[in-house]
Amino acid sequence: MLFSLLGRQWRPRLLDRSAWAVVAWVLTMADLLPITWLLSGCDLLELSPNETRTPVAYRDLTRKNLEALQRRANPLAGDTLRFVFIGDSQRFYKEAEAFTQSVNQLQGVSFVAVAGDISDFGLVREMRWVHERLRRLKVPYLTVIGNHDVVANGREAYQQVYGPLNYSFEYGHTRFVFVDTNGREYGFKGRVPDVAWVRQALANPGPGISRQVVMSHVPPNDADFDPHLVSPYVEALQRAPRLAFGLNGHRHDFGVTAPFGPALPFINSYAFEKRRYLVLTLWGPQGFQIDSVSY
Amino acid sequence: MVGLLLLAGWIGSTNIEAAPSVAFPDTLPPRPWYAPRHVLLQAAGGQGLVAVGVGYTMARRRLELDALLGYVPQKYSRTAMGIGTIKITYSPWSIPLAHHRWGLRPFAVGAFGSYTASKGLNSSRDGKYEKGYYWWSSHTRVGPFVGGQVQYERPRSTHRDARTISFYYELGSNDLYLTSWWANRGELTLREILTLGLGVKLHW
Repeated sequence: MLFSLLGRQWRPRLLDRSAWAVVAWVLTMADLLPITWLLSGCDLLELSPNETRTPVAYRDLTRKNLEALQRRANPLAGDTLRFVFIGDSQRFYKEAEAFTQSVNQLQGVSFVAVAGDISDFGLVREMRWVHERLRRLKVPYLTVIGNHDVVANGREAYQQVYGPLNYSFEYGHTRFVFVDTNGREYGFKGRVPDVAWVRQALANPGPGISRQVVMSHVPPNDADFDPHLVSPYVEALQRAPRLAFGLNGHRHDFGVTAPFGPALPFINSYAFEKRRYLVLTLWGPQGFQIDSVSY
Repeated sequence: MVGLLLLAGWIGSTNIEAAPSVAFPDTLPPRPWYAPRHVLLQAAGGQGLVAVGVGYTMARRRLELDALLGYVPQKYSRTAMGIGTIKITYSPWSIPLAHHRWGLRPFAVGAFGSYTASKGLNSSRDGKYEKGYYWWSSHTRVGPFVGGQVQYERPRSTHRDARTISFYYELGSNDLYLTSWWANRGELTLREILTLGLGVKLHW
């Protein structure tokens, strides 16, 4: 077809019998690619940097980490809980390795919370590179999606590698609510964050729950938070029973602020590049201590 | 029935008789300058689950310039992706193997540029942020590669059939992987940023 358009006189036979055999062979190989790739674990055969395929070992990590967390007893007594808080691992692989080694020397820590921007370019391989380092942590790590994780096919990649964009879990007398607040990535259409979901997730904490913690990447007083949703979101947080504080990343630096009143403090994490992280210790409904560790 | 067959035979024979006699030319028709020198089919290499392409050769096939159209189904993406790739490959050495029809181009080096079109791909530069917030494009990729190929010259090929079939591989990377690697030398391994593509070319 192509050649008949190109040249009237010289008309090559595109596919004669033996060439067809070669094409059939290659197509068969192409069909087998996902299978051979699964069998051999060979992730070199890349369809596109924007593909969302990932080997089983790098899939559903949130579920796997939550299961690992629930299998571990809280190392601290009473309703005291301690966890490590950091954000923005994007493209800081050296730091991720050093961070892992540092956290592994801590005592009494239940898990690590990463406040979004796991990747820089929203690529599935970046998430794998981060996991390749953080999987050596002795404690599970839990993440929330950041704006960089939404770029390109990042949202699907994040869902493949980690899991849901909004989720909550209870551990150590605490309910954690992790929510996607990357409103600018969705064009400020009034849908992200899903305030109705947040409200429901924070409602009616059981008697065993001493406090609630909300973690999201973009803080509600940031220009990248959907302006239509700032007040309903903040209101949902203010009305939530026993909410201790909000946790955020995005700004790459530590800070404790209360832009919506002293009853609702927000703690912002260091980014991996700062080579510092926070150790948060919580007790009672409001009590908390922040320790900063350099690595 | 027999009559019908006879009738068909007659029509057939008259047709043959009616066909004008052709004087076969004693030279082959010229090949237009713009006709591609090869077509190719590739899998992976960051350029599609499958990609088809055409190409030109220069400097006795040491230089090859290819244009590919690749496809990634929705299953491996948010929405299906189409990837257009241009690449240039330089393979300086050609070694004939023991069996004279087989040959080896043991080393190739090249570069590619690609553009990915996909309805669902969340663009990094569509005005959501102030200019320069994301410094890279989520659609355009460039990258280097090294590779090699084995070629087979087919016996009894006519002027119209592809004369040579070559199988090639490409080990490459792209700008974003290399940027990540450069800032993390000693931590991120080359193995982690490499991609592999496999393909076949039919040369005329």
